Amino acid sequence: MAQIARDSLTAQIEVTTWVTKHVGGDGSGSKLFTEPFALGETVRQVLRRFTARHPELDAALWSPDHAELGEHIEVIVNDAVLGVTHELDSPLKDGDRITLLGQFMGGSCLIMSR
Amino acid sequence: MSPTATASRPTTKASAASATVPGYAGKLLRVNLSTGKIWTQPWAEHMREYLGGVGLGAKILYEEVGPKVNWDHPDNRLILATGPLAGLPVWGTGGLSVITRGAQTNGATSTQANGFFGAALKYSGYDAIIVQGQAKKLSYLYINDDVVEIRDASHLKGKDTWETQEALEVEHGLSGHRLSVYSIGPAGENLVRFAAIQGDYGHVASKNGCGAVMGKKKLKAVCIVRGTKALTPHDARGLVQAADDIAHDLKTDPAASTLYRWGTLPGVTNLYKLGALPIKNYTTNLTTVDMTTWEPAKLRNGFDHRGHQCSACGMHHCHIQVIRKGPKAGELVDEPEYEGWSGAGWTIGATDQEGISWLNTRLDRACVDVNEFGWVCGWVMECMEKGYLTEKQVGFKLSWGDIDGAYRLLQMISHRQGFGDLLAEGVKRASEKIGGEAAKCAVYTMKGASPRGHDHRGRWEEMLDTCTSSNGTMESANPTHQTEFGQPGRINPFNGEEVAKLVGGILGRKHFEDSLGGCIFTFRSRIEMLARALSAATGWNYTMPEALRLGRRTAAILRAFNLRCGIGTDLEYPSARYGSRPVDGPAKDHNIMDQWEHMVDVWYETVGYDRKTGKPTRETLKKLGLDWLTRDLWRK
Repeated sequence: MAQIARDSLTAQIEVTTWVTKHVGGDGSGSKLFTEPFALGETVRQVLRRFTARHPELDAALWSPDHAELGEHIEVIVNDAVLGVTHELDSPLKDGDRITLLGQFMGGSCLIMSR
Repeated sequence: MSPTATASRPTTKASAASATVPGYAGKLLRVNLSTGKIWTQPWAEHMREYLGGVGLGAKILYEEVGPKVNWDHPDNRLILATGPLAGLPVWGTGGLSVITRGAQTNGATSTQANGFFGAALKYSGYDAIIVQGQAKKLSYLYINDDVVEIRDASHLKGKDTWETQEALEVEHGLSGHRLSVYSIGPAGENLVRFAAIQGDYGHVASKNGCGAVMGKKKLKAVCIVRGTKALTPHDARGLVQAADDIAHDLKTDPAASTLYRWGTLPGVTNLYKLGALPIKNYTTNLTTVDMTTWEPAKLRNGFDHRGHQCSACGMHHCHIQVIRKGPKAGELVDEPEYEGWSGAGWTIGATDQEGISWLNTRLDRACVDVNEFGWVCGWVMECMEKGYLTEKQVGFKLSWGDIDGAYRLLQMISHRQGFGDLLAEGVKRASEKIGGEAAKCAVYTMKGASPRGHDHRGRWEEMLDTCTSSNGTMESANPTHQTEFGQPGRINPFNGEEVAKLVGGILGRKHFEDSLGGCIFTFRSRIEMLARALSAATGWNYTMPEALRLGRRTAAILRAFNLRCGIGTDLEYPSARYGSRPVDGPAKDHNIMDQWEHMVDVWYETVGYDRKTGKPTRETLKKLGLDWLTRDLWRK
C-alpha cells in the first residue's frame, strides 16, 4: 500500500458493541483508535485504510464489492449519522471522531444512514 | 377451592370440530361474561388469508364491534389470539396477540406478549379466545382442555399480577409452564386508561389500555392449564429444519446476535449515541452519567440472574433477577428490557439501576404500560420543576429521578387516588385538562396513544409510524433486513421523504409476524424463513410477497375500523413536545415538523391510502383481495 503523506492530522475511530470482535475486542464496550490522515482525505479513505488492517471488520463494514457500506454497521461522525453533516466522501478535519456502531435489535432497530 | 360457576364443556354449533388445517387447533373459544355462556366455534375457513393473531383479531373486531361500541361498552371484544406457529418447536412460540378497542385511543389495539399462554391455549384445543360482555362480579376464566369455567375472583381483588399468578398456582396446584396466567393488576380493576395485561411473571401486553378493557369486563385473569391436545404440523421435518435455520440466523446475524446474547439491553447505550434515548421527558439528550456503566454486560452483572425462557425459546432475552444492593436488596424482579430502563428510568431522570429495576417490576405488577407511565411521571416531574404543577395539586413533592416518589405516584394512579385519578387518564388527557404551559410539556400522539421508550426526534421513522398507525402503537417497526422488501439498506434518517417511503414500504411485515403466534425478537429473522416455517406447519405454500400482502390486509382492516370509529387523518401528528426540536445531542436542530406534512403525504402515497379520507384506495383494496371492505368503505 502506497505511503500517504501525513500532515500530523488525526481522527479518532471508536469501535463499539459487537463490532469490537472484529478488532480484537470481546464484542462489548468500545475500543478507541487514533488514525493519522492527510489533508483532504475523506471518511471513506480513512475508513478504507483502517479496515484494511482489520480484515474481519473490512468484510463486515463494506458491501461485497467494496463500493459502499454494508447493511449492519452505522457510521457516525462527530455524533451525527452519515447524511447529516458528512457523507462517505466528505473530507475530515483534525480531531474528528468516527464511531462504528453495530446495528442492534431491542428498543428498536436501526435504520441505517448512508 | 373457590366457588365456581357450573363447570362447562363448551358447546359447538357445528359438530365437534377438529383441526382441518395442520398447525391449527381449529376452534375459537367464545365467552360471554354477561350471560355466562361459553361455546366454541369451528375455525377452518379463511385461515389462509387471516392466519391468526392480529390477522384473525382484526377481522373479528371489525365484524363484531360497531362504531357505537366504545372501549368500555360490554359489547366490546377482548380477543386473545395465537397463531399457526404457537406451540410448535420454533423459538418463542408461546405468543399471544391482544386485539380490542382500546382505552387510550378508543380505537383498534394490537399488542403482543409471550411466555407460555399461546402454546398452552393451542394445546388446550383453541386458536383464540373471544371475550364479550361484562361479568356481574370480578371473575377469572379457567381453561383445562375441554373444561372451561367462569370462576369467582373476589379473592383476587386488589392483588397485583404476580400475587394473582401465585394465588392461582396455589389454588390449582400447578406452576411454571404447567399453568399460564394472564391477569390485570389494581390499575386494570380501576380502569386506568393505560392499564396493561401481564402474564407468566414479566410478559406484558401493554398498549392502548387493553388492561382497562379487561377490568371493565370484570375479568381479573385468564388461567390455562397446559393442555394435552397434540398439534400436528404438515411437514414436521421441514418445520424443524426451518426452526433450526431461524435459530442459526438469530445466533449469527450481526444485528440479531446481540439480542440473542443480551436481549434488549444494548438499546440504552446505542440509542444514546444516536440521540434517541429519551432523557427527562424530552428536555435533553445529554447526560453526565458514565454510559460505560450501562453497557449490557455491566447492566446484567450487577444482578443475580436466572433465565426465564418463554415457550420453546433459546434466546438469552428474558431473565428474573435478584437486586443485590441498595434499599431493595434481596427483592426478586424481572430484568427490565430496554423499554423498562427507559420508561422507569431515563424518561423520569432516574439512573439508579437497582431502583429502576425494582420500579419496572412494580409497574408490571400494578400493571400499567411502562412507556405511558414514563411520559406521565416525567411530565409531572418537569411541570413541578418549572412550577406548572404545585405540591398542593400533586399531593407531594416529586423531583427528577425520585424512584420512591414515582412509586407513590404509581400507587395513586393505580387506585385513582387524589391527583392520580387525573393521571390515570393518561398524559394526553391529563395535560389537556391542566392546560397552560403544562400542556406543552406532554409527549403523546393526537390519537391519544404515546410513543414507546425512545426519543423519536432522533428516530423520525418511528414517530411517523406511531402517529399514522391504527393499532395504538408502532405498526411497521423496523425489520432487521429491510432490503428483503426492496427497500434501500441505508437512508438519510433526517430526510423526511426517504423516511416516509421506508416506513410505508415495510408496512405489513409486522402484522404478518404478529399473526403467527410468536415473538417480535425470535421472528426478527428474514420473512422468507418465517414463510418457510409457516408453509411447513400448514402445508400451504407461503411466499415473502404474499406474507407482506397478508400483513397489509390486516393493516387495512384495522385502519378501516378506526375510520369507522371517527379516528381520522386530522389526528395524525405529534403533540408539541413530541414533535419539538431537540435542544442538544446528536439530533440537535433537526426539526421533524418542518417536513411533517410532506412525510405524511409520501407515506399515504406509498401505502396506497387516500390522503384526504384516510381510507385505503379501491385499487389498494382490490390488490389486497378485500372486496368486502371496499363495499363497506367506499359505498355511496
